[in-house]
Amino acid sequence: MNREDEHSAPEANIKSPNESVSPQKPTSFFQERPPQMMGVAPQLLRRWTRRDLLLFGAGTIAAVAAGSALLPPTTLKRLGIIQENKDWPKKEWLLNKSLRIDDDVAEALYSKDRSVPTYTKSQITPLRNNYNGATPDPSYIPEWHLTLDGLASGLSVSLNIRNLLASFQVYEQITRLVCVEGWSAISGWAGLRFDDLLRVYPPMSQAKWVRLESSVNLGPWGNPDPYYVSLDLSTARHQQTLLATHLNGKPLTVEHGAPLRLIAPVKLGLKNIKAITRITYTKDEPEDYWAKRGYSRYDGI
Amino acid sequence: MTCSTHLVEVIATRMPEEQTGVRVVRRHHLLVRFSHWLNVPILLGLILSGLSIYWASPVYQHKPDPLTGNVDRLADFSSWICVHVPGLHHHDNPPDWVYNHISLGPGMLAVALRLHWLCAYLFMLNGFVFVLGSAMSGGWRSLLPRRTDLRDALKMFFCYLGVPLAKLTHRSWLPPRFTTKYNALQRAAYFVVVIAGFVSVLTGWAIHKPMQLYWLTWIFGGYDNARIWHFWLMWLFILFVVPHVILVLADGWDTLRSMIVGWSARAGRSEGFNNEP
Repeated sequence: MNREDEHSAPEANIKSPNESVSPQKPTSFFQERPPQMMGVAPQLLRRWTRRDLLLFGAGTIAAVAAGSALLPPTTLKRLGIIQENKDWPKKEWLLNKSLRIDDDVAEALYSKDRSVPTYTKSQITPLRNNYNGATPDPSYIPEWHLTLDGLASGLSVSLNIRNLLASFQVYEQITRLVCVEGWSAISGWAGLRFDDLLRVYPPMSQAKWVRLESSVNLGPWGNPDPYYVSLDLSTARHQQTLLATHLNGKPLTVEHGAPLRLIAPVKLGLKNIKAITRITYTKDEPEDYWAKRGYSRYDGI
Repeated sequence: MTCSTHLVEVIATRMPEEQTGVRVVRRHHLLVRFSHWLNVPILLGLILSGLSIYWASPVYQHKPDPLTGNVDRLADFSSWICVHVPGLHHHDNPPDWVYNHISLGPGMLAVALRLHWLCAYLFMLNGFVFVLGSAMSGGWRSLLPRRTDLRDALKMFFCYLGVPLAKLTHRSWLPPRFTTKYNALQRAAYFVVVIAGFVSVLTGWAIHKPMQLYWLTWIFGGYDNARIWHFWLMWLFILFVVPHVILVLADGWDTLRSMIVGWSARAGRSEGFNNEP
């Protein structure tokens, strides 16, 4: 690599009297440059060393303190660092900030006109019911109706499943549902477009959000555990956001949210609420079941 | 301008005869040193939270165990550790041993995700700082692979293998000569780990935004394969760090110090330069 005959080249590229650069000229842009020598007074060198060691040492202490403060109390307790759960009041601030930054990034990446990938029937995979609560008694289905609130008309509208299927076109799509836990499933969904519902029953003009409720959810012991999610109107208007009535060609089962559930493939599975009973359009961001439990609010993927 | 240039002037005027007293060689740019050390807490945070995220839905699964219902191969490995490692036989919950010791713990998904995003954004910022430092100093050239590297890296590898034996038998053991900043094995390791940093960021985005960035997910063979890539890249970092730390400590204080102060007193490695004052 280093050619011997270039040793005698004049030392023209010396930068300063203190820095001597080896005289070989690099033969290409990618070739490693010769090492840069410096002449330094020993006292100055000691001072530099002391300064840098102190600075990096202080940085290490700060990083260890900040890092362990950010770890969850249960982890610290298990490691024996703290004895009891004493939460540092501002601790959540930085973690929440990073979650909001990530939500803003997700929102910036989202485009109402970008479609998510679709699959063929042969690519369909089993869909699990990830709900660890009790499955409701199917007796609610004949009584079921959907209530719409926060409309431009100022009225509250009630629709049953026959109304919905008779007055809206049904679309089919095979898309992937991605769970926040990390698993995913490809399923064939059919239902009406949320966008079509929004056109027929327009929300009030200031509305930016949708609150979706499911009142048929039960906790693990059959106790009521109402589920509700927030959804931005822009996602509701996406062409692949469905109010689904069918899974893989069959009407939805109770486990998968009969008779009507949300399918928003641009969102994590937890936003895809089952057995919707009420849709409310709001100006301010509504509460979200999982956001209250420390997960993201936007959940765009 | 800075404090140090001011000091140079002061000392130069006071004792001009000492000004060129010690010859040192510039090793690492300030930004490179900064990002190098920041990687320690950031990668630790990413691994701890990452394994907690992995716990929620393990990539490597088998059919549910008839007794415990467990599907997670990492939990099986965890139980295996508790059975075979002395002193761990009485651990409360063997399947959770790994999660209790190298993650935030089982059942911590929400907390783990927030910490993972925080560390991931810091990791990307830190990567940018490293790229900036390498570009400003031109140090990136020292990491590029060369045609002769494979042979030289193997030589170096066998040299490292022979060191403990040579120490035991009190024989002198000279490493192969090289005139570059890093030897071929170092260069290969550093080059791979930098690329792995970029790829782990890319696979991370492929998992995080599989709909908006579906083309990126597609490049890594789909959603599930992107998770597998991301998982094994974590192991690559762990497998890099272990010999990295051992070799730095074995190489001596000068090498470790050079990543803190930026210069090395070992100027002799370069050609045609006499380190004697």
